[in-house]
Amino acid sequence: MILVVGEQRDGRLNRATWEAVAAAQQLGDSLKIALAGSKADGAAAEIAAADAAEVIVLEAAALAEYTSDGYILAVAAVVEQEKPASIVFPHTYQTRDFAPALAARLGRALVTDVTAIKKSGDSTVYVRPVFQGKLNADVEALGPPPHLFTIQIGAFRADAAKRGASAAPIRKVNVAVDASAIRQKPEAPFQEAKQAVDLSQAERIVSVGRGIKGQEHLKIAEELAKALGAELAASRPICDAGWLPMDRQIGSSGQTVAPKLYVALGISGAIQHLVGMKGSRTIVAINKDPEAPMFEIADYGIVGDLFEVVPAIIGELNK
Amino acid sequence: MSNRETLDVDVLIVGGGPAGMSAALRLAQLHKQKGGEPLTIAVLEKAREVGAHMLSGAVLDPSALAELVPDFKAKGAPLATEVHHDRVYFLTRTGKLRFPIVPPPLSNHGNYIISLNRFVKWLGGLVEAEGVDIFTGFPAVEVLYDGERVVGVRTGDRGVGKHGERKSTFEPGVDIRAKVTILTDGVRGNVTKSVVRRLALDAGRLPQLYAIGIKELWEIPADRIPAGTVMHTMGYPLRQEEFGGAFIYVMPNGLVSIGFVSGLDYRDPMFDPHIVFQHFKQHPFVASLLENGQLVRYGAKALPEGGWHAIPRVHADGVLIAGDAGGFLNSIRLKGIHLAMRTGMLAAESAFDAVRAGDASAGRLKSYPAAIDRSDVRRELYPVRNVHQSFSYGLMSGLAYSALSLITGGWWYRDPMPAHAGYERMAKLDEYYPSGPPDPDSPIRPVKIDRQLTFDKLTNVHYSGTRHPEDQPSHLIVHDAEVCGTRCRIEYGNPCTRFCPANVYEIVDTGDGTGRKRLQINASNCVHCKTCDIMDPYQLIDWVPPEGEGGPQYEGM
Repeated sequence: MILVVGEQRDGRLNRATWEAVAAAQQLGDSLKIALAGSKADGAAAEIAAADAAEVIVLEAAALAEYTSDGYILAVAAVVEQEKPASIVFPHTYQTRDFAPALAARLGRALVTDVTAIKKSGDSTVYVRPVFQGKLNADVEALGPPPHLFTIQIGAFRADAAKRGASAAPIRKVNVAVDASAIRQKPEAPFQEAKQAVDLSQAERIVSVGRGIKGQEHLKIAEELAKALGAELAASRPICDAGWLPMDRQIGSSGQTVAPKLYVALGISGAIQHLVGMKGSRTIVAINKDPEAPMFEIADYGIVGDLFEVVPAIIGELNK
Repeated sequence: MSNRETLDVDVLIVGGGPAGMSAALRLAQLHKQKGGEPLTIAVLEKAREVGAHMLSGAVLDPSALAELVPDFKAKGAPLATEVHHDRVYFLTRTGKLRFPIVPPPLSNHGNYIISLNRFVKWLGGLVEAEGVDIFTGFPAVEVLYDGERVVGVRTGDRGVGKHGERKSTFEPGVDIRAKVTILTDGVRGNVTKSVVRRLALDAGRLPQLYAIGIKELWEIPADRIPAGTVMHTMGYPLRQEEFGGAFIYVMPNGLVSIGFVSGLDYRDPMFDPHIVFQHFKQHPFVASLLENGQLVRYGAKALPEGGWHAIPRVHADGVLIAGDAGGFLNSIRLKGIHLAMRTGMLAAESAFDAVRAGDASAGRLKSYPAAIDRSDVRRELYPVRNVHQSFSYGLMSGLAYSALSLITGGWWYRDPMPAHAGYERMAKLDEYYPSGPPDPDSPIRPVKIDRQLTFDKLTNVHYSGTRHPEDQPSHLIVHDAEVCGTRCRIEYGNPCTRFCPANVYEIVDTGDGTGRKRLQINASNCVHCKTCDIMDPYQLIDWVPPEGEGGPQYEGM
C-alpha cells in the first residue's frame, strides 16, 4: 500500500495533491491518502474522488495550525499504523519543511523533487533533476521501506490521476499529538506582498515579456487573461521594470509553474524563463521573432505582432 | 545602531579563497606549534558555501601546497590530474602553428590540473577541522577604522528590499573587530579597493592591469584527447593590438576546462571578450575538439596581470593584503593560486607574530613585505615585472620583450616600463572608427549563436548557477547613470554591454517616446567578475557585494 500525504488548508485542497496521487498510482499498488489540518472535510471529499482505498483525515487539536513537529508526529503515527510500502508527498513548501525531518525520524530514505518513475526489473527508479534541471539523475532508494518521495509540482498531470468508480471512504483518525512536543509556535499567516499570488496553483497563465514594450500595453494581456480565466504573469524584465509585482515573475529567479495552458506573449524564451514553465501542458507562444527559443518548446506558435494577434484571440473568445 | 552585534577576534580573514584559506590554515598550524593563548580566527566568505565563487583555469604549481600541507596527497587533495602534455599554438583564422618548443614559463611538468572550486572546498575542510570559523554568506561591505588603523570590517545587512526598505527579514550586519585583518578578497576586492584608496597604498606604484577570463567546463567523449593535456593558444581571434589567449585543460572522464583570457586594456571600444570566446570555439581546431560535447558550467573572473610593479603596499596599521587582492599573479605563467597561497601563509606568519607581540602597527607588520621579498614570490615575479606592460606595444613587441626578459632577468631601459590603467587606453568611437562610428547596439564582429557550441550571454549565465534574490538593491552602483544614455553612448557606445560577460548591463529605450536610451542593470545576473568596476571608461561603476550568499555556483570550476 502506498500512502499519499496530501496538503490542504482550511478545506481547500492543494492541487499538487492530485499530482502526487497521479504519481503514486504509477507504482501499481493500492493507495491511501492522508490529510491533516483543520477543517479538512471539504478537501477530503474532493480527493476521495481518486481511485484510492480510503482517505484518512488526521485529527488532533495540535494540528489545527501547521507546525513541522506536529505534522511529523501525526504522519509518523499513521505510518506506524498503516505500514505503507512507500510514502508520497507533493513537493510543496510545507513538504519541504517537514518531510526531511520525518524521514530522519523514521530512519528511512527520502528522494525529493521526483519528476518521473521508472521500473527497472524488480526495483523502482526515481528520476530527479540535479544541477538546476540541467541533468536528470536516476535514483534508487536503499534501506528498508517505506521510502519517502516528494513529487515535483507539474511533473505529473493532476487530471491523469485515476478516479474511482465511487468515492473512496473517508476515515477520521484521532492521532495522539502531544502539544508539548511541538517546538514551533506559528504566528498568524501573512503575505509579504499585498497581492501575493501562488501562480503554481493557476490552471491557465498569460505571461508577458519584453515584446509588450510598455506598461500601458499590459491592458491587452490583462484582457486576454480575463477572457481565458487566466492569471497574469511575466518574465523577469517586466517585473524588474516594476510593471508587474515581483510575485508574478516566472523563471529561475521567480516562480516555477506548470499550468494546463501557458500563453507566452512577446517572451523570447531565455533559458532562465523556460526552466520556470517548461512543465506546462500546452504552451502557446506569440512572438514577432521566428528565431525566438520560445518556439522550440511551444506546442502552438504564432509568428506575428502580438498587438494584432491578441485582440483577434480576445475577439474570438468573447464571441 | 544599538542592535548591531559585534564579534572580537584576533585575526580576521576577509575572503575564503586560496589565499584566505591558506592564511587561516597557517595560523592554526602556528598556534598548534607555538602554543600560547587561544587564538581566535574568523574567515568571511560572501558565497553561500566555501568555494562557490572560485573560478580559475586552473593549473596548480604545487610548491606552496607542498609546504602548507606536506601530506596533501594522503589528505585527498582534489587534483584532477598531473600535467602530461604541454602544447602552445599560434592560431590563424583557420589554421594553427604549434610552437616547436614550449616556452619555459608555459611548461607545466610537475603541475596539476585542478578545479579551484573543489580545491578550495577541500582546503576549507582542513581549515574547519582546525576549529577555525568560516562564516559563509557574509560579505564584508565596510572597513572599520580607528583613525587610520584598520580594526575590522562590517558585514552586509540582510533583508533589505529593492528600494532600500527594510523587509520583515531585516538583519543588520555584524561588526567584526580584529587585531589584524588579512584582506584576501580577490581580484579588485571591494574591501581592498577601499583600503588602498583611503590609505593611498598604491602611491608610487603602477596602475594595476587586468584581464578577464571567460571559462566553460565541457564534457566531451573521453577518448578524444588524453587527460593531463594542457594547451595554450595565442593569436586568433585576437588582433595584434589585443593581449590575451586561450587555455584548454583536459581532465579525466572527458571533462575539459576551456577559456579565453582577454587583456582589459584593449583600445577598440567595440571589443567584446565574450564574442571573442565564441569565435575561438568556432575555430576548426577547437570546434572539432568540442564536437558532440556538452557545456556543463560557465563563469568569468577578472585577473590582476600588472605584476610586480602594480602590487600596492601590502601592509598598514592592522591590515595585510594577500593573493589576487594584492595582485600576486604571474601573468606570463598564467598562474596565481600558488602565489595566493604563499602570500596568505606569509601574511599569517606576520599576523601571528603581531598578535603575540600585542603590536599590529605597520612597523611590526612590515615583516610581511620583507618576507615576500625573501621568498619565491619575488624570485618569480620580479624578472617578469614588465611583461604585461610590454604587450601594450602590440603582440610582437610583447613576445619579443618576453623572450628577452628570460635572458636579461626583465631588464628594460625604463624600469618600471610605464603603463596606463586599462580603461584609460580605451579609445573613443570616433578615434577608433574615423570613417564613422558603428552602431553601438550591434556587434562589430557578430557571431552565430547555436546554443550547442556558441552561446549568448544570458544562456551562459544560466550555466553559471548564479542566483541573487531579486528584491534587494542593485549591487552595481552607477554613480551617474545619466551619462549612459547620453555621453557614453556617443563617446564609447556603451562598452559595459560588451565587457560584462553576464548580460548585467543593457541599454533599453526610455519608453517615453523620445527614442532616448537608458541603462538597465540586471544585477541578479552578476557573476562577480568585477570587470565593470575595472573597465568602465568613466570609472562610475562601483561593484559592492550583494546580500550574502548571492552569486554564482561554480561547482567543478
